[in-house]
Amino acid sequence: MTDINKLAAKALQKTFDLRASYADFRVVETRSQRLGYSDGKPEEVEESTDRGFGIRVIVDGAWGYCCSADLDEKEIIRVAQKAVEIAKASAVLKKTPVELAANGSYQESFISPHKIDPFTISLPEKLDFLSYIDELQGNNPGISGRDSFLDFRRTIKDFYNSEGTAIHQELIHSGLGLSVSAGAGRNRSTRSYPANEGAYECKGYELLDEFDFKVDIPIIAEQAVALLNAPTCPSKICDIVLDGSHMGLVIHESIGHPLELDRVFGSERNFSGASFAFPDNLDNLQYGSSIVNVTEDPTSPYGLGSFGFDDEGVKAHKVDLVKNGILVGYISSRETARKIGRTSSGSLIAEGWGNIPIVRMTNTNLQPGTLSFEELIGGIDDGLYLQTTSSWSIDDMRQNFQFGCEIGWLIEGGKLTTIVKNPSYGGNTIAFWNSCDGIGDISQWRIWGTPNCGKGQPGQNARTGQGAAPARFRQVKVGV
Amino acid sequence: MSKILEIFERCLKKSKAEQTELVCEAEEFYLTRFADSVIHQNLGRKDHTIWCRAINGQKVGIASGNEVTEEAVDNLIKKANEISLCQRDNPLFPGLVKSPAAPEGRGFFKATAECSAEYRAGTIKEISDIAADKRLLVSGMYQTSRTELIVVNSKGTRQTGSATEAKISITAGDNDGRAGFAQAYSRDIGKIDFQGLAERAIGKARQEKEPIAIEPGEYSVILDPEAVADFLLFLGFLGFGGKSLSSKRSFMANKIGTQIMSDKISITEDPGNPEIGYIGFDFEGVPRRRVELVKNGIGMGVVNDSLYGSLNGTGSTGNALRPGNNFGPYPVAMVMEPGQKTTDQIIAESEKAIWITHFWYLNYLNPMNASVTGTTRDGTFLIENGKLAARVVDMRIAQSMLEAFNNVDDISSERRLVPKYGSLMYVPALKIRDFTFVSKE
Repeated sequence: MTDINKLAAKALQKTFDLRASYADFRVVETRSQRLGYSDGKPEEVEESTDRGFGIRVIVDGAWGYCCSADLDEKEIIRVAQKAVEIAKASAVLKKTPVELAANGSYQESFISPHKIDPFTISLPEKLDFLSYIDELQGNNPGISGRDSFLDFRRTIKDFYNSEGTAIHQELIHSGLGLSVSAGAGRNRSTRSYPANEGAYECKGYELLDEFDFKVDIPIIAEQAVALLNAPTCPSKICDIVLDGSHMGLVIHESIGHPLELDRVFGSERNFSGASFAFPDNLDNLQYGSSIVNVTEDPTSPYGLGSFGFDDEGVKAHKVDLVKNGILVGYISSRETARKIGRTSSGSLIAEGWGNIPIVRMTNTNLQPGTLSFEELIGGIDDGLYLQTTSSWSIDDMRQNFQFGCEIGWLIEGGKLTTIVKNPSYGGNTIAFWNSCDGIGDISQWRIWGTPNCGKGQPGQNARTGQGAAPARFRQVKVGV
Repeated sequence: MSKILEIFERCLKKSKAEQTELVCEAEEFYLTRFADSVIHQNLGRKDHTIWCRAINGQKVGIASGNEVTEEAVDNLIKKANEISLCQRDNPLFPGLVKSPAAPEGRGFFKATAECSAEYRAGTIKEISDIAADKRLLVSGMYQTSRTELIVVNSKGTRQTGSATEAKISITAGDNDGRAGFAQAYSRDIGKIDFQGLAERAIGKARQEKEPIAIEPGEYSVILDPEAVADFLLFLGFLGFGGKSLSSKRSFMANKIGTQIMSDKISITEDPGNPEIGYIGFDFEGVPRRRVELVKNGIGMGVVNDSLYGSLNGTGSTGNALRPGNNFGPYPVAMVMEPGQKTTDQIIAESEKAIWITHFWYLNYLNPMNASVTGTTRDGTFLIENGKLAARVVDMRIAQSMLEAFNNVDDISSERRLVPKYGSLMYVPALKIRDFTFVSKE
């Protein structure tokens, strides 16, 4: 029996002694390292380690959570008592007792697949890489600003609950990204690569080998310079094609968030907002056109939202959210799933040990279609192709959105022609997804990582994945 | 705090780096969330983060952790030193300095620090009961917390400070889409008028008028202080920090000393304001300074940490964020000067205006002219002939914040303290003409 096993047993016994009807004990240790370069100069390198534990209980039918950085027996007893005290206070304002959907009891370990542990690569080697990227960025004399970063994280989680579950997990995340700017003052343009937040995956240092920086950096540098004198995106209604990385954002904001079942039930009404997708829409709402199929899948290889188990011990599995355009499922926890008579989608996640786990996207994947990129573009006579997210906003019910991209190209006669700057578009979630008539094939599909999805109070950052290929939408208002 | 200081003193002496800085931020944090008048999340947390910056020449390494033992701090220093020795020179890094002792803060209140979960739940129940009388439900959060900050460095800086926070926000509403929002913040929990707060949120949600949709276009608007703070926070990020000025990515670039907004507007970074009560020094141990950002509409200056203070030639204003951040300094205690009329007077004198409680999901459209998009939320109303004429369906805006602050017609005499993303803003309501709405929801 390891020390953590013993501490878990103490914690759970204490909550049981204090009349908890359910309890879980979670220890999380996170090691992270971030390096940056900006305009030829290294930014401060920080390496951090953070460890602590949390105890979540149901007492008198209500939730309590307490956590601490001091992982020792005395503190665990204090925190267990405090969690129970907090739950009793919660019970002052309850309508019905908390009930959880059924879940199995697991004793398993999960280590995310990776080839090279990024923490085995020396700091000088990583700085050499960024210096090389910085040099490539600076080769174009029109570039006035350049930034790049590497970001690595190892998370070790141990989870135990009063139902007999004991899980150990180790997750490795790697991220990289860069941007170049041209111009100055009010006439300034920026291009980011591989996406606006970079590329993040549940993978090791091998992530760096997947990109051809030598070829791609000169292209985006050239685009940044070209944008300075490009015409502004026209204002009109036309057909559009969105690139894969931007589709990741669109899926995240207009499908993932509205289908988080805690939002649907109003848990975030005062802060992150609610949702239009009420449970009476289940199995009948035409969310998108018939080619739109979306899954919630933490088992997707290398997705930033991949894991073995969520933070209440539900084993990772795939759930259909939208099938042939119809809303068929939600992103849920044991508590929220129970309210609609289903089992959890395995999506209850906390940022570290210091936060209550809440319903989160894992990997929300728009399934690939059948069209090549040329076919997507070729099917438009007069339209716009938009690439790389630059701005996003959606209302608190997740219906009315406005998204912008770093660069656009006019589509004329089925071909990409003139570059336009500040391309943007807006619309209504349901109308927009029902106008989708083409999705790129598997060769263009990738799980794009979102490293900083904000939700909850106190604010929590989650890491989520969105599987996407480029997609085509008809008659959208652009240049908004 | 004294135990940590003692550990820091011993560890500093053992550091092999040319310069060493140690920072500890300790917190005891409680937050109760409620939705539809039920407490659904209830958190207690005790944590302490320690950062070490080790400097050799102009090479900087940072390591952080959350274990408070001498051995753990020694290891952090060793790690930061290793990182520093691998790092490249940062020719801009100005080095550490000895800062004078900061004035003692006035932001710590025992009653806030010792507030119990039971007390918070009891208050929420009282608010819920007030709402239930009006057939409304309430959602929101109620936070009480204490923070202690210690900064020491090998040049002789020794700073310690503590502060408390009590924060509550409420959305009152029903299933027909009516909603009203209100929030309150104080270092001293005893100063929060919970009943008044509940009545403000409920009052907005209770407006019985059916919502109407208004055509997109330009309208006069009356922004509640919370909506003003939404804009001001973005302006702070975009333009009032030393990094964006230095890199010329700010609307303040080449504009200091020129008119950038209405001459009615004056904004100051004022961490010592009695309403704000910040700990008196920043994460580099530099005492926080009062900084004029805008005076009578003229751009006056920005806030800086030691690095950007050195680059911009002003020295640090005491606005360093936590070690290792890449944002650069930005204001965290903005105060806007009040006007002469009450908000009620401004409303009564308005022939036609849209009254906005706050905004949601603002994001940049064009950082250089400070234009943003987002939607109104939780209480949007049409004012006609000085009276509330209708509830308005939430709308999307697309607006340059600088233009909006240039088009100010009136400023309220009352101000409210608004907390947002780690910043505090003490701001009035504003009446603004020619404000752009681009779509109705």
